[in-house]
This record gives sequence, C-alpha cells and structure tokens, in this order.
Amino acid sequence: MLAACLLPLGLLAGPGGAAASASQGEDPVRFTVALLNEVDSFNPFLGIEVESYEMWALTYDYLVDFSTDDLSLQPSLATDWESSDDGLEWRFTIRDDVTWSDGEPLTADDLAFTYGRVLGKGPEAATWKSWLAGVTDVEATDDTTLVMTLSRPNSVLPMVPIPIVPQHVWSDVTGEQMKSYAAEPTDGAPVVGSGPFRLVEGTAGGSTYRFEANPDYWNGAPHVDEVVFRVFKSEDPAVQALVKGEVDFVEGISALQVASLEGRDGVLAQNADTPGFDEISFNAGSVDLETGEPIGDPNPAVLDPDFRFALGLALDRQQLVDTVYQGAGRPGSTIVPPGYATFHWEPPAEDLSHDPERAAALLDEAGYTTGPDGMRTLPDGSPIGTLRLFARSDSATSTDVMAYFKEWLADLGIDSEVTTVESSKLTDIILAGEFDAFEWGWFVDADPTSMLSYMTCDQRGNWSDSWYCDEDYDALFEQQGSELDPEARAEQIHSMQEMLFRDAPYLVTAYNTTGQAVRSDRFACLLQQPAGTGQWIFQQGTHTYRSIRPADEAGDCDGSTGATEASEAGADEGVGTGVLVGMGGLAVLLAAGAAVLVVRRRASAEDRE
Amino acid sequence: MTLAASAEGVLAAPSGGRRARGGYGRYAGGKVLGSLGSLAFVLVVNFFLFRVLPGDPARTLGRGRFSSPEQLEAFSATYGLDEPLPRQFLTYLGNTLTGDLGVSLRYRVPVADLLLDRIGPTLLLVGTSTLLAAMIGMWLGTRAAWAHGQRFDRLSTGASLTLYSMPEWWLGLLLIATLAVGFGPVPGLFPTGGLHSVDVDPWSPGGVLDVARHLTLPVLTLTLAYLADYALIMRSSLLDELGSDYLTTARAKGLRDVAVRNRHAVPNALLPATTVLALNFGFVVAGAITVETVFSIPGLGLLATEALEIPDYWVLQGAFLVASVGVILANLLANLLYGVLDPRVRT
Repeated sequence: MLAACLLPLGLLAGPGGAAASASQGEDPVRFTVALLNEVDSFNPFLGIEVESYEMWALTYDYLVDFSTDDLSLQPSLATDWESSDDGLEWRFTIRDDVTWSDGEPLTADDLAFTYGRVLGKGPEAATWKSWLAGVTDVEATDDTTLVMTLSRPNSVLPMVPIPIVPQHVWSDVTGEQMKSYAAEPTDGAPVVGSGPFRLVEGTAGGSTYRFEANPDYWNGAPHVDEVVFRVFKSEDPAVQALVKGEVDFVEGISALQVASLEGRDGVLAQNADTPGFDEISFNAGSVDLETGEPIGDPNPAVLDPDFRFALGLALDRQQLVDTVYQGAGRPGSTIVPPGYATFHWEPPAEDLSHDPERAAALLDEAGYTTGPDGMRTLPDGSPIGTLRLFARSDSATSTDVMAYFKEWLADLGIDSEVTTVESSKLTDIILAGEFDAFEWGWFVDADPTSMLSYMTCDQRGNWSDSWYCDEDYDALFEQQGSELDPEARAEQIHSMQEMLFRDAPYLVTAYNTTGQAVRSDRFACLLQQPAGTGQWIFQQGTHTYRSIRPADEAGDCDGSTGATEASEAGADEGVGTGVLVGMGGLAVLLAAGAAVLVVRRRASAEDRE
Repeated sequence: MTLAASAEGVLAAPSGGRRARGGYGRYAGGKVLGSLGSLAFVLVVNFFLFRVLPGDPARTLGRGRFSSPEQLEAFSATYGLDEPLPRQFLTYLGNTLTGDLGVSLRYRVPVADLLLDRIGPTLLLVGTSTLLAAMIGMWLGTRAAWAHGQRFDRLSTGASLTLYSMPEWWLGLLLIATLAVGFGPVPGLFPTGGLHSVDVDPWSPGGVLDVARHLTLPVLTLTLAYLADYALIMRSSLLDELGSDYLTTARAKGLRDVAVRNRHAVPNALLPATTVLALNFGFVVAGAITVETVFSIPGLGLLATEALEIPDYWVLQGAFLVASVGVILANLLANLLYGVLDPRVRT
C-alpha cells in the first residue's frame, strides 16, 4: 500500500531523481557539475571569470599543457619547440593530426591567426597581449611550423595560455564585432573547437551549459558523453542537489560543507589546494605617479620595511588556518604558492613562526620603543597613533583575519582600527593611498610572471596594491623575463620572493583551499592537480574531464595513479543533514506557533478576567 | 455605475466638456503627467546614481589578469568609459530614448537581451506569488476578522506572523531540505533549483509542466512570506468596519451573516489591501533577490545585485529603468483606480 502511494511520488521526482543512473540504457552518460557562478563569455577574448576559462579549456586547445603531477610543461598542439640562442626566434612544431569539430584540419595557420589577433589593437589585445610581450611577428611557415620573432627574449614562452580558435570561423569576425562576439551555438550548430568537448547548448549569463564529447579528440576520446554545468546561486542548495543526485559534482563549497559530506556514503569530498594566497598588504609608499610626491596618508611606521617585517612575526598563521580557515588551508609564506615547486621559495622557518617576543625586540631595535603609556612610539618619539586596517565586507575570512591582526598589534603596544568596506570601495581607497593595511588575496598563473609583475614600480596605480617599488626588484624582474636558462630563472624568481619577504609589503597569511565533492558512487577516475593536494576540476588543462568515467566502468582508470576510486552507492539512504535541518526547522516552526498560541491564549484569558 | 460615470469623464476630458473641471479626466490627466515627470527624473538619476558608486569596471573585471596599464586603458576606451561624464550622459540619454540600453560590461551582450531573458522568470515567480498571497491572505484575513478572538483567528494570525518573521532564504532552504531532497521514505518531489531541466524546451507542453515543477517551491516560499501582509491588513481593516452602523442595519434587515460579510463589510474593507497589492505589483519586476538566490532562478533582482559588484553601469541602468517603470505604472494604475473607487480623492 505504502509502495503504491509512493510510486506516483517517485514518478513526479522525474529525471532529476536518483533514478537517472549514469550508465543505464541508452541515455547519454552525463557528468553534471554545479557551478556557483555564471560563465561571463564563451569568447576567450572577452571573458574574465574562472568559469569561462574552464569552458574554453573544454572547447579549445593550447600551445602547451601542464601535467597533473607537478604542473610541469607537456606538449599539446606544439609537440616540440626550440629558441635561438639569443631568444629572439622561437620555432614550434605543430601536430598534424588535429581536426576542428566541423572537420577542417587544424594547422599552424590557426595558431598564427589567433596570436596575430592578440598582437593587434582590438579587445583581443586588452586580454592576452602581456603573454606575448616582445613578440613582433608570428608566422606559419608551413602547416606544422610556427615561427615567433621577438624584439627581446620572453621567458614565459612557451607557457602561453591563449586558447587557439579556428581561423576559418573567426576570420569573419571584425574587430568591432569582436567586442560582443559570443562564440555560442547558433541555429543548433555547436561551437567549432578542437578540444575534447564542444558546446552544444548555453549562453553566457545563462544557467545551464551543455557540452558533448568529441569522440575524435587527438589526445583520446572522453569516457563520458556529456558534461553539463548548472549554475547554483548559493552553496547549500548546490550541496543538497549533490546529496539528492541532481548533480554529480560541486565546487567552491566551504570547509564546513566538506566536513558534512566527508562521512557520507557514495560521496568523496576534499579541501583542495588552489593556486593562490591571501595576504595582509601594507601601504609601502603611495605616491603621485607624475610628480613623485607622496599621496594619501600612510602612517610613517608602515612605510618602514623593518616595522612591517617585525609585524610578520606577530602573526600566528597556524591559528588563522585553524580558526578562520577552519583547518582548510595552509600557513602562507610567499607570493608564489608551493604547488609551483620550481618557482616557490620557502623562507626560513624561524622568520615565519609566531614569535611576539622577537617581534617586540625587532621593533625596539628599529626605534619603535614603548612609551610611558605602554604604547609604542615612532623613532622620533611621537606616538604612532591608530593604524587603519581595512577588511572586505564580502569575505568573512577577511574580517576575521583583520580582527586577529588588530589583537596581535595591541599585544605589541600598537593601536589599530578595522574598517570593513566593499571590494570596489577598497580599490578606490588603495589608489588614493588612504590606508595603512588591508586584507586581500590573489590567484597565481602557472607561470608566476604576472604575479611577480604586480610588485614592480610600473604597476603602481595599476595592479600594484601595496605601492611597493624597488629598483633592484624591478631589475630582477626584467632579468627573469628574458632569462632563457630555466634554472637561472628559477633562482632569480627565488631572489625576488626573498626580497619581498624581507621588505614585507605583503604578509602572506595563508594558502587557501576550495571545497570540492563528487558522487563517487556514480563517477570515478578524477585526477588531482597537483597530485595529492590539488583540485579535481578547475585545473590547468582538462585532465579530469578526459579521465573521468562511470563508476561501474572505472576499472583501474587505465593505470592513472592517484585517480579517485568508485565507491558503494548509499548517498540516498540514511538520515542526512538536509533532513535534520528540515526536521529542526519544522520543530522550530511548531514551537514558535505553539508559543504564539500560548501567549495569545494567556492574553485573552487575562482579558476575560 | 461609478465605472460608467468615470468612463464618460475620461472621454469628456479632451474636449473640455462641462464635467471635466474637477472631474475624472482632469484627475487622470494630472496623474499621467506626474508619472511622465517621474519617468524623466528616473532617466536622469539613473545615470548619475550609478556613476557615484565606488569602483572602476575596468579594474574589477581585470583583477588578477596579466595586463599592463596600456591594456587597462584599451579596455576603458573600447567601452567608452574614458569619455568625460557629460558626454557619456548625452550618449546615454540619446541611446535610451531610442531603445538602446547599451552592452553589458560583464557579459558583452546587449542589455536589452539580458533584461528580456530575466524578466520572464521574475514576472512568473513574483507575479504568481503576489497573486496567490493576496488571494489567500485576504481570504484568511476576512475569516479571521469575522471570527475575531476565536480559534481560527488565533491560529491564522499566529501562523502568518510566524511566517512573516522568518527569513525568506531560511524558509526556502527548509523547503529544499524537505520537499526537494526528501526525507525518510518520502522521495524528493521537486527540483532543488533552476528554472527548467537540462534538455527540456520550456516552451513545449512537457516543458511548461517542467517549469511549473521547478517554480513550485520558490513560489510557495514567496507566497508564505508575503501572505501575512494581506492577511493582517485585511483583518484589521475589516475589524474597523465591524462596529459600523451600516452592518447593524444590514443585520437588522435580516440578511444572513455571509451576505453581510461578503456584500457589505468586505467591499468597504478592501481599499487598504488594494493599495498594498498595487504597490507590490510595482515591485514585481524588481524581483525577489533572496528567493532567486536560494533557488537559482535567473531573475532580474539577481542580475542587478551582481551588476553592482562590477559596477556594470549599463545593466544597472537598464534594470533600474525597468523596475522604475514598473513602479510608476503600478502607481498610476492604483491612482486611476482609486479615483474610480473613491471619488473623494479627485479633488
């Protein structure tokens, strides 16, 4: 009887229900991912959101790829490359077995065309030109050879993250049209690309994007038929959808959600390392860029590298990670995350440790001695006053970190005040130089050049947010930019990090993580990048999308090491958090209703008397 | 009767007939003129309001990208952000008046297209909820006032107050956790979010059903949240009428209780509730941001909130314009209706 009653309910639940197993019958095998943000453009020359980068990676190929293990360079469209001794000419060998999804062959001409557009003056340049710094000419000498001519060496090559678009489609798009060219399916025709998948449905800003597998992909056909992205506007419903089985993957969820999913059967959840960091940034010297005169009103103390370095020792990074990041993160050190093993420089442990006594001693040494009121003074004896710290209102992490920082400063005898503002407002404050310190963070590209550039003098008034400027640092930046010996270049990048660590315009607080979870009872063979700690999707490249397969066909994932395994089903059974929350909510509701009734009854009883 | 008279007034107005002076036509004309004035005001405010927002779109959109100062300038130039403000204002006025709402800085598509895509879901969601809430709420309020102090009154007032004080997002999450995910042996009945399933065309017969299924929980959430507004207003205004002499008269005539309520008391008590309803309809296009967020409904409210972060001037202007026009129209309609329902306001 009960079953009979439930049957129609089950039918009502429809295709979104758990019944839609990944590998049943002739339904396509569909891997559904919940995103927490929309794609802003499928046109790789226009979009800026990370979600868009992910879509381009599915659709297009790149000059080179990055390994899952350690992000080392791998061949992609280019199988081989060499540069002249002076670094002014690069020669790439392009694969000859790649076709566009409409059947046309992909040749070196397509690469020359794509880079050529970037080297022009249109919106394509605004997006990607920095990666081709020094490149004056790109030419396809034959179908499989691409030659780049440079005016000065560029050590970023060949790590150019520009998606290669088909010339025979995109050459029809004029510069003016490019400003709003969408690169979306039109009249039922999918977007032309050479990647492992092709976009068949979806528009930028929309809520669903559907990709079909490319069975002829040169690097191996994917094992799923479709990847579908669904946009959720908040975290909880996305997690509920995973639990219910409406989606197979969620990303960008909090450490709390990961913890709630971790014990659940049929679900695999992790806090994955992201290629970024959070920092407390100081005003290291805001100036009018034309006159060179100081602008804003930084406290004289924060202009002093010794003062800033000493404050770094007052930070308890481990406590920040444990409390603010709920354990989902790692204590930070420099602006190149440790995931980029070759480029990362690790400071001596004693300079990173939480050592308030040494901090106090260093401050005394630098002249910031304690006055009769217990507060520290400037070297000239005048009071330091109140340091103005800024936190971002859209980030709980930001406000919490600054609350701790204020306390640690107070322990050292330094008064401070935290103001919480919106990110956009903070940008204005930074440009005006009207701050002493703030909390923010960055993502770092696989090649650290962009991150390193933000600390150069040239970037003040642009992307530099600490106003840091140092000739020696700039000289090293120029040098590494044209250094062709990888080892020497890594060394120079280490030196730059060391300089920044000593001068401390940034106190890197933490390397953050992002929560990801997959229905492991339905899909297996997801790969982490970097191995062991990294993300399952949102990687450099499309490794997981090509490796993933239905749980019952997983086998040994073709011998991939570190791939996720299939697990027993069971996410649908038992009492989940959702139910507990729901029951709790109902109980509260009932209690509230009862309370209202009692109060009213009492009131009316009084009235009667 | 009144309706016929007013129609006559409207017709008479342009020719300056005898009834026009102080009549409905003059009243209506004044209201229309006032609305046009508001619209002009909105057009001007619309531009400057968003320009004083902190933030620079070129910087927000480019954060974390590898780019030089020249590239940043190129971006601003491409989208006309580097022109002097008065010039931008003139361009904006000219474009808006010719129906061109500009191109979104974030999505790089015409704002008009974006708004058109988003306005449907919003109207469907908020419109349906407002109607349902008004109907159920007014019915509850009437019954509660009529049964003043009795169990039904206590129960319905208590319940609507409880729902009224619950945050919408929490109510929404509660419904997702129970009705969408399912509990115990009961399977989840409704989707957790979105407007329609992946490969369903929302315009096909099956698609309409699919959309209805997706909208059930968000509409339920909003209806429950809006309900109290109408229930409480209807209840209190009917309570005000209850002591009136005309009701005693009606009863003395021997009319049945139901007739006294529905034919005499309720029509008189309807006015305040109508005002609230009309005003709320003005806000229908503005969307219900929290509910759109919880259920991932791609609506206008969500679009505008997200555009604030950039700030995406053209989207903000477009959304604000549409919302303002909605409110102005609803106000105008309410005013015109008031002139009909209550002739005293015409003077």
